[in-house]
Amino acid sequence: MADAGDGDAAPVSEPLELVRLSLDEVVFVKLRGDRELKGRLHAYDSHCNLVLGDVEETIYVVEEDDEDDEAVKTIKKQSEMLFVRVGDSVVLISPQAPG
Amino acid sequence: MSFFGFDPAIPRGGGHPDKAPGFGAAPDPFAGISQHQGTGYEDEDAIDFDDTYDGLGDQLDETNDDLNDATFGGIEATTSTLSKPVGKDFDFHGQTAKVSNVINEEQFRYNRQHVSRKPQNLMKQTRPFKTGYEAYENPDYIPDLQVDVSSKGQTRTASGNVQASQSSSILSAVPQAAPAAAPARKMMSLEEVETAMRAQPKKSASVLTTQGRQQSQTMTYPNIPSAHAQHPLNVQSQSSAPVNLPPQQLSYQRASQNRVPLIPQQVLQAELPGQSVPNTARPGDAPQAQQRSQMIQQSSSQESAPHRQILQNPKRQSAQLAPRPPEPPLPPPQQQPRVFTTGAMGASQQLPIITHPQQLMQLSEEDRNAFLLEDAKRAKRNHKIYMLSRNNGLMTPQDKNFITRIQLQQLMTATGNTVEQDPDAVLSEDFYYQVTSQIRGGARQNPQQPLSNFAQTYLFQTGSRHGGPGRRQNRGGDNHMQRMEMQVQRAVEAAKAKPKNKQLVIEGSLGKISFSNAKTPKPLLNIKRNDSHDRPQSAGRQATSRKVLPAKLSISGRKSILRNIEAVYSTLMKMEDHERRLPAAPANEEQMSVAHHAWQEVMESLGQKLWDDLKVMDPIVEESSILHPFIAFLSYPKGKKAIPRIFRLLDEEKRLTILTMIVVHLNILDVIQNVQPGASGFRPSLVAREEVELFSQTVMPSLFAYVNEAPLQIVIGLLGLIVSRADMQVVLRTKVGLNILTMLLSRAELVKQSQNPSDQEWNQWVNLYNRFFDVIEPMLGIIFPGSVHDGQEMYVWQFLAATGIGANPDQQQRLVVAVKDRVMETVVQSKTLPPDMASQRLADVNLFMRAIGLDVDLLG
Amino acid sequence: MLFFSFFKTLVDQEVVVELKNDISIKGTLKSVDQYLNIKLDDIGVLEEVRYPHMSSVKNVFIRGSVVRYVHLPAAAVDTALLEDATRREAEQQATKPR
Repeated sequence: MADAGDGDAAPVSEPLELVRLSLDEVVFVKLRGDRELKGRLHAYDSHCNLVLGDVEETIYVVEEDDEDDEAVKTIKKQSEMLFVRVGDSVVLISPQAPG
Repeated sequence: MSFFGFDPAIPRGGGHPDKAPGFGAAPDPFAGISQHQGTGYEDEDAIDFDDTYDGLGDQLDETNDDLNDATFGGIEATTSTLSKPVGKDFDFHGQTAKVSNVINEEQFRYNRQHVSRKPQNLMKQTRPFKTGYEAYENPDYIPDLQVDVSSKGQTRTASGNVQASQSSSILSAVPQAAPAAAPARKMMSLEEVETAMRAQPKKSASVLTTQGRQQSQTMTYPNIPSAHAQHPLNVQSQSSAPVNLPPQQLSYQRASQNRVPLIPQQVLQAELPGQSVPNTARPGDAPQAQQRSQMIQQSSSQESAPHRQILQNPKRQSAQLAPRPPEPPLPPPQQQPRVFTTGAMGASQQLPIITHPQQLMQLSEEDRNAFLLEDAKRAKRNHKIYMLSRNNGLMTPQDKNFITRIQLQQLMTATGNTVEQDPDAVLSEDFYYQVTSQIRGGARQNPQQPLSNFAQTYLFQTGSRHGGPGRRQNRGGDNHMQRMEMQVQRAVEAAKAKPKNKQLVIEGSLGKISFSNAKTPKPLLNIKRNDSHDRPQSAGRQATSRKVLPAKLSISGRKSILRNIEAVYSTLMKMEDHERRLPAAPANEEQMSVAHHAWQEVMESLGQKLWDDLKVMDPIVEESSILHPFIAFLSYPKGKKAIPRIFRLLDEEKRLTILTMIVVHLNILDVIQNVQPGASGFRPSLVAREEVELFSQTVMPSLFAYVNEAPLQIVIGLLGLIVSRADMQVVLRTKVGLNILTMLLSRAELVKQSQNPSDQEWNQWVNLYNRFFDVIEPMLGIIFPGSVHDGQEMYVWQFLAATGIGANPDQQQRLVVAVKDRVMETVVQSKTLPPDMASQRLADVNLFMRAIGLDVDLLG
Repeated sequence: MLFFSFFKTLVDQEVVVELKNDISIKGTLKSVDQYLNIKLDDIGVLEEVRYPHMSSVKNVFIRGSVVRYVHLPAAAVDTALLEDATRREAEQQATKPR
């Protein structure tokens, strides 16, 4: 019983264990709605709510100008400490910012 | 006494019909029971009444009572006239049958109760013990029974009139016999009953069932032994629940339930107590046998009723049965059936059916099978119920209440304990808040808010769950909470205060060198703010942030290092938790040693695990492409942050090992390697500089605290390691490198001042210092970071001062020559600065100047 | 419960709550519950012009699920402690599901 439980529990806890390794490390977080965050991970929970420090948020906005040309505009915002309420909006948490 | 002309001696005679309407009008099943049952007692009560009568009734005006008889009927008239019409007018069976089981039960219960309550009544009986049979000694009881019998017949035949007439004929016969002596009465009534019964079929020949029954009665007449044998079996099947009861009692019970007319037998026995001749062997017993067979028939037909009763209320009955004292020796005739009973007990319970051909004959094949099946089922169920109810009545309701309360208390204590025993669980649930509010203490802006939140949390966790009765536990929990809070406070304060308290102050010939100045927080914050503007240039930052990670570290290597760090933190937190569990000073030493020993053991094993997790002792592989795990550990911010917490849990030896480890790897420490000014002269990256600050704030104080206590030999050894192994060009150009050197140099000076080391030791040091000075002298020009305008060079002046105090005059001269330009530049530059900044810059320089016996003021 | 615990320490701090519909509300955090519903006092909407309907509101209760971010004052956060609290929670979670 306990053995089986262990076997089952291990893969479940694994992903969050990976997130734990990134505690106090700079992480890259991709959110739904074309938002990205980069900041130092100070806290997370099992729902992937996060607290990030020294965060830079990047929002990608597709704008159509007069000639119907689509241009991707990026909006960047800074925050010294940010609580991210995830719900289902966190797509990925990566230990390193992509190149 | 006679009111309204009723004879109190025969309450049953008039009583039953009087009560009978009650069954029809309001089916109160218990209304008639006490009457039924009480018949015998009322008789006795009447006697009691006479004994205690105060004569008040005699004073009643009975003048116009003469017509009472006309109104209510006289004694003679009452019995005859009442019984007759009542039998016709009321459906006794239809109503009573519905409640017959309950009646039986209540009757039985009544018997039981009165057995114990009226011992004096029992004494009046010829029998020594109350058996519940007493009622049947009253011949007037027969009519009632007969009515019942007839009603039974009615059930099957639905020929109420015939039965009524039958019973009425019997009834009319009984009162006549009433005045006679018991034996005579008995003989009379028996004969009369028999006559009446025999006459009955003739009167109503149309009723086949009654006829059949009478015939079958006569048929069973010769089969008396079998009837007797079957009697107990009947008992068994009827009320198999109280199997362990004396059969005699069972028969009583059943008899009373069925109101079987056994009176003749009873009276006979009472008359002849010594008689031991079996019933069956007595030729004169024929009428009795007939009665008996009749009774058997009745009882078998009634079988379902007692069963239902038992099912409905098995507890009560068995509870009443159980405490009953053993029966006294039985009259012999009664004993015989009992022998049969015990013998036949194990026999199939379907036997009664086989031995009841007369009854079964009246049943259809289907009914018979159904009856058979049901009977078996009943027996099974009754046995089960008996098994279940065997111990019923052992405990009073009060006992049960008491035990329930104890159980509830234990339950609450148990659940309460889960909260109490594990304050850590509560702590970890709300760790951040608990600890933060403790740290902030009274500094909260609105003390009410968190407190009420806390109270709510507490209430939610304990109060509501345990409710009122758990209050005692709640108070205990409160204490736990407070103790835990204090523990957390201590633990956290110790952890927080430790590094901060380590003021890097060295007193020596130089006066005071305050290392806390070396990392003043203000410039750090300035850097941060300045650089936050650079943030959008993320590409450049990413490139440098990569450099922070040792290039040799693979992704998997990185992951494993991070795992190490997290493992260290886990152990660290466990140790800190365990620290708080240090047993409080116990009353006596013995306890103390035991508790402490256990505590110590855990602490040591955790400490060993921590040491293993740190991987300090992993072999140092020269020229390896793989970074030593501990040095890699230190390259992460959280690795650095862990050092002060780890250091206080380590012994001196392990601290020295860590220090040595760092010194040996000074070159490749991230805080040294990553802040090397590039060829282009660019400043090190923000991340790298942050790491340096972090290192200075976390690792350095721990190292410094150790070195500050270290003997000269260790200082010599450490500096020797640096000189012989480290690339001075790299070390000297970094703040951390210079700080470590400053630390060692100043410590040596302090030891010299305070401890008077041996000449040999001191010579050893001087030799090492000379070697060191020779190595660094050519590099003194490059130790200043950036230009003079940056103003971030205090640590350099500190280093120069520390070097200067240990230098001989020749070396001091060379030192001044090497840095004189910078001194002049700084002095000149300070004149362009605001006064406070200028004085700060000059003070930095003067630290060095004084170390070599000069002063900036001399420079004009 | 980590973030509930965390937010409780931020009571009376000035925060900016950014909702999933892009409205950002600045105000003093007055209370929070286990669902991270938030009560703010003395609120102001950052882009007053875009959301004039909020201008007369003095305090709000915000359902936790509509929150995207909460911008916090860094000085009010003890990051080391927070990381430790996170580790504790993680270890609890690892043992709990059994």
